[in-house]
Amino acid sequence: MTGGEGEMRHAKPFFLWRHLNKLRWVSLSVVFAMLVLLPYLHVYQTYVAAHAYDLLAPSEQRVYDIMEALTQPFIGDPAEDLDAVKGNTWSATFWGLKLSDPLAALGQMAAGMTFYWPFLFTALIPIGLSVVFGRFFCGWICPATFIYELNSNLVSWLRWAGLKVGNRRFDKRLKYGVLAAGLLLSAATGSVLVAAIYPPAIIGREIYYMIGIGGFGAGTMFFLGTLLFDLLVARRGFCRYLCPGGALYSLLGRYRLLRIRRIVETCNDCAKCNAVCEFDLDPLRDGFGQECNNCTACIAVCPTDALAFTIRITDYPAQGPGHLGRQYRGKAAAGGKTVAGQEDAA
Amino acid sequence: MERRGALRRLIAYAALLAASALPYGVSTMLAPGRAAAKRNYLRPPGALKDDAAFVSACIGCGLCGEVCPPRCIRFHTRDGGLKVNTPYIDPEQAGCILCDKCMEACPTEALTVIPRDEIDMGIAEIDQSACYPWVDKGICGACVSICPLGGKAISFKMWNQYRPIIKDGCVGCGLCVEVCPHPSVPIWVVERSPKISPRV
Repeated sequence: MTGGEGEMRHAKPFFLWRHLNKLRWVSLSVVFAMLVLLPYLHVYQTYVAAHAYDLLAPSEQRVYDIMEALTQPFIGDPAEDLDAVKGNTWSATFWGLKLSDPLAALGQMAAGMTFYWPFLFTALIPIGLSVVFGRFFCGWICPATFIYELNSNLVSWLRWAGLKVGNRRFDKRLKYGVLAAGLLLSAATGSVLVAAIYPPAIIGREIYYMIGIGGFGAGTMFFLGTLLFDLLVARRGFCRYLCPGGALYSLLGRYRLLRIRRIVETCNDCAKCNAVCEFDLDPLRDGFGQECNNCTACIAVCPTDALAFTIRITDYPAQGPGHLGRQYRGKAAAGGKTVAGQEDAA
Repeated sequence: MERRGALRRLIAYAALLAASALPYGVSTMLAPGRAAAKRNYLRPPGALKDDAAFVSACIGCGLCGEVCPPRCIRFHTRDGGLKVNTPYIDPEQAGCILCDKCMEACPTEALTVIPRDEIDMGIAEIDQSACYPWVDKGICGACVSICPLGGKAISFKMWNQYRPIIKDGCVGCGLCVEVCPHPSVPIWVVERSPKISPRV
């Protein structure tokens, strides 16, 4: 009877949590696709505004036709109605609602040494969401994450092919230094320099430059450099150790409400969660910390459904080895009755 | 032994990095030299007057460019130095049509919404030693007919129907620069200053 109750209490977590990782990939893909689509829509708008269809080159006419076919069912006047959704993850407009990255607000404050409230308000919603969901931007929205995770997969392929790839570890607090240095440099130069080393801002901008204007800026070279760093030096190294935005989101999400916890009763110590964690966290020993981005990769990979969401402002203290693991069962066999008695009491 | 291996790996990685930068370096070296002495670019309408303040207020999100119907707003990139990612208008490529969309789109105070009369991107200036009608090489009037502000900004000189003159109402949108047919573009937008008073 008591055992049954215990099992009821540790019933399987809500089945959807296991599939959130797929939803996350959908989210990342949609964001990235929008970043590519929006510049094309803008180009289409400029053709419409200029009434220039007959003057366009064949390739431009193809862009015009495709974009017209895509948007025709949803809008009336492309020149005006397509202005509803504009921008990138650094700063965007949705039907008049302006949203900005908290790092943009902070960087601009540092560069200008002024408070411009209308702009700071645009960062309020992202800040609020980060306080509740932690570093979720990094896992669910960031267009750089989309490429970095594909890059991580490439690393696995290369390793499988026998090539040497780097997996060095540094101090994760390095990125707070990068954030501080970026803000100080912004303040010293009077230019928002953090935007130049922040991959999501770079990607949004550079895609627009490539499609809307032609050519690309220094950001593309920088981003390719970070990809090489991830490939050759440290797995997912930029996000883990260097990203200033990630540092800011980590600080904001330190006491996040929604976090992942390990259910010690069903954990079997297989350590797949640690292996899959892109941020080098330690779910196996309840070490999520402020850097967890709730990406749910560990939930998806857990063979015994021992990871679930919970609402708490701190992590569970270390719960010891999983109860289905060899270590715990070995101890239970050695300790005999005492551990079994504890189990009953629990 | 271990250290030697690490050193060799380091050299290999450095070589890989250098090799990956090679195409970029070669393409830069092979590219034709930059055009000499660029003329000054314009900031989009509604920009803060003080350019240093503008640079520190702009976060480089590119929204102003992304709503611009004539796609006249470009961005400083590698050439920009500290102005990197801030917007500019090169009137020779495309002039501003004063549609106000960029001012409304900008999330920061870099571009603030102001009425059309108060926009001040500069003021046009005509080189009277090159402009076709001014040197009696024919009739033109392209700049006058394209001007979105009508007679307030540019008009013909009295007694000579085709010599354009700039008036005080010019906001510096640069459309006249875009349409000017003369190869040396004798009309250009310069900074408005007490020295450059409208010639009537």
